[in-house]
Amino acid sequence: MLRFAVRRVLESALLMLGVLVLVFFLVRLTGDPVSLIIPMDAPPAQREAFREIMGLNEPLAVQFWGFMSGAVRGDLGTSLRRRGEANLDIVLGRLPATVQLALAALAFAVVVAVPLGLAAGMRPGSAIDRVARGVGLAGQTIPSFWLGMLLIVLFAVTLRWLPSFGRDGLASLVLPAVALGFAGMGQLVRLTRSAVLDVRRADYVRTAQAKGVDALRVSLRHVLPNVAIPIVSVLGIQFTYLLGGSVYIEVVFAWPGLGSLLENAIRDADFPLIQAITVFFSLFAIAIHLLTDLAYSALDPRLRHG
Amino acid sequence: MTRRAVPILIVTLFALIVLPLTAQAQGDRLVVSLSSDPTSLFLPRAADRTATNASLPLYDSLVWINDELEVEPALAERWEISEDGTEYVFHLRRGVMFHNGEPFTAASVVATWESGSDASNDYANFYTVANLVEAIDDHTVRITTPEPSATFLTTLAISWGMVPPAYIAEVGIDAFARAPVGTGPFRLVSRASGERILMQANPGYWRTGYPKVSELEFRVIPDASTRLAAVQTGEVHIANRLTPDQAMTLDRVPGVKVVSYLNDRAYYVGFKNVGAGAGTPLEDPRVRQALNYGSDRFGIIAAIFAGQAEPIPGFVIQGNLGYDADAMPPFPYDPERARELLTEAGYPDGFEISMGCPADGYVNINEVCLALQRTLAGIGVEVNVEFRTTNSFWSQPQYGAVGAMFVDSWSSTIGEALPRLDGALMPGNYYAAWEDERFARLIDEIGVTVDRDARAELYRQMHELMRDEPPFIYLYQPTIFEAVSERVQGYAPRAAEEYYLFRVSLD
Repeated sequence: MLRFAVRRVLESALLMLGVLVLVFFLVRLTGDPVSLIIPMDAPPAQREAFREIMGLNEPLAVQFWGFMSGAVRGDLGTSLRRRGEANLDIVLGRLPATVQLALAALAFAVVVAVPLGLAAGMRPGSAIDRVARGVGLAGQTIPSFWLGMLLIVLFAVTLRWLPSFGRDGLASLVLPAVALGFAGMGQLVRLTRSAVLDVRRADYVRTAQAKGVDALRVSLRHVLPNVAIPIVSVLGIQFTYLLGGSVYIEVVFAWPGLGSLLENAIRDADFPLIQAITVFFSLFAIAIHLLTDLAYSALDPRLRHG
Repeated sequence: MTRRAVPILIVTLFALIVLPLTAQAQGDRLVVSLSSDPTSLFLPRAADRTATNASLPLYDSLVWINDELEVEPALAERWEISEDGTEYVFHLRRGVMFHNGEPFTAASVVATWESGSDASNDYANFYTVANLVEAIDDHTVRITTPEPSATFLTTLAISWGMVPPAYIAEVGIDAFARAPVGTGPFRLVSRASGERILMQANPGYWRTGYPKVSELEFRVIPDASTRLAAVQTGEVHIANRLTPDQAMTLDRVPGVKVVSYLNDRAYYVGFKNVGAGAGTPLEDPRVRQALNYGSDRFGIIAAIFAGQAEPIPGFVIQGNLGYDADAMPPFPYDPERARELLTEAGYPDGFEISMGCPADGYVNINEVCLALQRTLAGIGVEVNVEFRTTNSFWSQPQYGAVGAMFVDSWSSTIGEALPRLDGALMPGNYYAAWEDERFARLIDEIGVTVDRDARAELYRQMHELMRDEPPFIYLYQPTIFEAVSERVQGYAPRAAEEYYLFRVSLD
């Protein structure tokens, strides 16, 4: 077990290193940030002085070494636009909003999808099953940013129930969480439904029904625990998707998280900040995959020997 | 389970949704949307109009530009200009305090100049226009410029937001930029990155009776359709940067009015007579005229901008000093005349030429580039459009990354064409790709002519010259659309997209 864990951790570190290299060079392929920062009519000397101060005159190799050695020590440099501000502080300031939104979206997806999928799977062909299949299809096909706009028009502009944007308490969390969680919900409904379809004919379910256990109890005590395993395993993956997918949703709802920060940083050509955000997103994804792997192998010994 | 759980679920969700009702923008707080998170609230680092508009309420300068574009006293009560036009002596208003309690004195002007000129600032050039700033006594300051400057007072007015010397010396520029302090109508209360900037009225503001609201809040809303929704729900009072289509949907919305005005920004196709442009047919003035006659700017405005833009006659455009609508018609769309000129120039069958385009660099710019390609094909000129990312498009001097022509735009914040003339035509400037001594001489003269009327006359001469031998294809200036709550009074944005919110009140 320990050997497996060490190997997976080392692999993750290597993957992280690859991400850092890619990010550093890809962002520089897009051109020169100085031309976007210094005004068009500024004298050329000013341009050069700025380049010098920001360390953009250094050879690429030197800049790369600075970035990598800093990153390893947990120093992600300072922002090009918000001069003097540490990228790490900027990112950490925005992180809670993104995590909150992703968790809320996940909670929405689970709370809607699992009961719906369970009910649908227990009664295939019923009205509730048709609803579940419709919801599943809609979740997987409706683009989240478009859904977000529709939700704003309906619940904020027409009905005036909820705020149209921003992060002011729980009310403002509802629409972005629904918009962000909708796709995952669709996937979960389908997954739950098909898992339930598999187990509802199992002997222990039939036995329970034969004993006269009522339908609700059969669903919750006999079926649900057995479909929980595949559901839990996709939740981890879903969470990383939710963090990434939050870029669109955060922009549409003016949600002050990492996604809208990334959009702004790209528009501003703030290279160091783009690097820092990407590092965080990848760190998240890699860490979650690592944890999932380790958790599996703890649960299922076959994995660490395979 | 199904019969009971589903209704419970629905009720729970419904309750979740209905319980916390929406918060309307409240009481005496003016809420203004911003289309991006300001890079800085320190004027020398306020990267764009959004950041500038969020910064302006914190500061005052020595002088102010009024709605008639005249220079008025602000923190300076009066001033004298030396005979040769290079020395300004300002007599400062007494009894003005910064938000942190420091008194405003001549030392503040020196500190403003010094901190603004720092090479780490985006707009150091707005401060280095002065080569010396000296305190004569506590309330008198002398500013020296290397040569007479037509635009010095304007630059002073729009960018020299006075800073408190002791505070900025103590914390340094970076920390000051995070917690800025000025003498302005509002003081900064808090800022949440990517989210909001909250300001409170400065109770001791020297303009008595201002500001008109007790709180001012900026909300960052990057998406235009969300800004549109937020003004409809009353969550914000001013929603800016809407598309014409979005503005039109507001016609029947009660409580919201549409404000539109022409932006002081000239869109054009630049010709190069350096680099990839040297030795091409563009060097012949008849060809450049032909390209102007052969470009259907009217069609572009009608088809791509739903009619919501104005054709421009040159670089001196509506709202600029020296502009004269009757004497300055735009080039008509006249393909016949274009072909004649091309034939005269020795290109009866046209020619092939490359044109760089900053992909997605401006609203609808990709469509404009393709429309130009089609319209010029009509006079036999085959344009190869080279799309570039914005970073690489602007990353080399004289547009070195693209071909013989390029599409770009140039704004001005001072009500005059000088910044774009200077930037685009003065040899030695980073983005000057058309070199002509006659242009350069005239621009130099405009730059040192302090008298407004004399300068207006020079702008007209410049216009004539640039019409006869055009260094550009002149395209259009766009209309800006904003949606404003009917509660808002006294909101008068300017052509440079510049807000003076201290005059705005809420009903």
